Amino acid sequence: MNLLHPQPAQLVSDDGCYISRRVFTSRHVYDWEKRYILGRSWLFLTHDSQIPNPGDFVTTYMGETPVIVARGSDGKVHVSINSCSHRGLPVCRADRGNAKRFICPYHNWSYTVEGQLHTVPQEKKVQQPVDKARLGLKAVPRVESYGGLIFGCLDAGVEPLESFLGDMRWYLDCMFDRYPKGIEVIGSPHKWLINANWKLPVENQLGDVGHGPYLHGSLLKDTPQVADLEAYGMNVVPKAGHGVSVRLMPKGASAEQCMWGTDGLASFDPEVKAYLLESHKAVESRLGEVRSRLRPLCFSIYPNFSFLWPNNTIRISHPRGPGQVEYWSWWVVEKDAPDHIKKKLQQNYTFFFGPGGVLEQEDSEAWSQQFIGSNIDYVDDAPLYYGLGMGEEVDHEEIPGRTGSCFNEHYARDFYKRWRQEIEDGLKGDGGAA
Amino acid sequence: MSTPSSDLALLSAIEQFYYREARWLDDRQYQQWMALLAQDIRYTVPVRHTPMLDPKLRETESVLNVGQELNQGIEAPLRDDSYLTLMIRATRSFKLSAWADNPPARTRRFVSNVEVYEEGDGYRVYSNTLMSFSRHGHDNHLYPYQRQDRLQKTDNGFMIHERHVLLDWNVVTAPSVALLF
Repeated sequence: MNLLHPQPAQLVSDDGCYISRRVFTSRHVYDWEKRYILGRSWLFLTHDSQIPNPGDFVTTYMGETPVIVARGSDGKVHVSINSCSHRGLPVCRADRGNAKRFICPYHNWSYTVEGQLHTVPQEKKVQQPVDKARLGLKAVPRVESYGGLIFGCLDAGVEPLESFLGDMRWYLDCMFDRYPKGIEVIGSPHKWLINANWKLPVENQLGDVGHGPYLHGSLLKDTPQVADLEAYGMNVVPKAGHGVSVRLMPKGASAEQCMWGTDGLASFDPEVKAYLLESHKAVESRLGEVRSRLRPLCFSIYPNFSFLWPNNTIRISHPRGPGQVEYWSWWVVEKDAPDHIKKKLQQNYTFFFGPGGVLEQEDSEAWSQQFIGSNIDYVDDAPLYYGLGMGEEVDHEEIPGRTGSCFNEHYARDFYKRWRQEIEDGLKGDGGAA
Repeated sequence: MSTPSSDLALLSAIEQFYYREARWLDDRQYQQWMALLAQDIRYTVPVRHTPMLDPKLRETESVLNVGQELNQGIEAPLRDDSYLTLMIRATRSFKLSAWADNPPARTRRFVSNVEVYEEGDGYRVYSNTLMSFSRHGHDNHLYPYQRQDRLQKTDNGFMIHERHVLLDWNVVTAPSVALLF
């Protein structure tokens, strides 16, 4: 088999059980991903709480494309490509802040936070006027939000965000609509570079909770959290490509069993436990009886946005070529939680996750080792096996989506089947195979 | 700030303390290392943002102040450890299932630029460290950082009550900051 220039059907088997190693390592495949997946999907940008006031901005990426996400003087979110129309330099060089203008260092062309070209200092020194109306920063054509989560899409023709999310919304509401005053995402993200393919972190949180007691055996083996996971845990695919791992507690379970899980921490910190019990009281009236028994663990939204529920962190996987990912991780917390509880939840994030986390150091290591294994061309005839629990997933009477056990890999099969389909559709639309 | 200590015996004693600490960490003698930590230790690794400089501070030295790049208020630092969490980090690595440390990385710490200031009943000490980190076959990295420590002298030698580790990266380009710096 020649996988130097693979066709999509060679990369993902029809049933999703076999994934070619080239999915993770091929430059050729990566170029398709940039064009047909990252270029056409809704991508997470920021949360409302990061840019509350006019002039507030953050800088981020859509795949490898640098963008400025700013609250305009009209109160709306404007997303502009961070590159000057004159010589192409980034016009905003800070992680975040509040600005009236973005100024290019080279010739000091300046832009409004909405992306309009405002001043060209050299304009009066030449005779022909500059058509400033045409020379604004290129705008990202679609920006929509759900539950305060702001997404953008580089493709004007994308379906509305709500239909893109589908039943994933039901699960997102568990966090983003849980509290009367909502949640806040605090500070700039923690960022680190991992020598791994960008899809590995996503896959990990789509539903791969099954690696917990093994990769993280030093901390999780034989803990009550693992027993709890195996008893009540399910991998759910609300819509192919998205995934969520949850524990659904049985009817009649106590508030203590059902409360939003910072799992480990509440079991030895009475203040955190009291806070969780108190904040659980409003959940049933806001989200209904079923979701008051639902304790999500992690989720990913196609193609590169994830959330780890027990440790209060949302994250995004910015690709940097097939073999490198710039991973960003934010701390998120109930807006109205008391300050001393916020502090404890913050430590419950940084101790376990982010670049200094005891668990995440092992995840990063596994993802980069996966890339090494994926580079072995001699085993191109031995694609990676994603078949655990194949065909065992079923509809559930209480929660939306297809559900399987916490070791069922259907979340990944569905992700890669969608991934293959989108590449095939993209190639067909561009007039044939690569 | 007070003037730095010029007590050569004290400076030498603190430098020797750091050299020994570095050797213990490089030799992975974490139990000996933990004996240098005070029970009330506060151990943080702040983030380093790329800030937008404050126009109100233009033309002053404060416009460049490092503090604005660090986590503000309730924002999460990269690390915020206590004695307990440092102990968990260190002893975790003794297990075969601690896969980030099995096989272990090879490290070498070089400590320099030691400055000592008397503070209360102890010392505020600034120093720089360059750590080489080598993992697996050829996965090699350098970690430059400043340590801002508060030490106290006891009958058993110096104890570390505070350590703030200032990395210079905005995006962390090494595999992990879950290490003992």
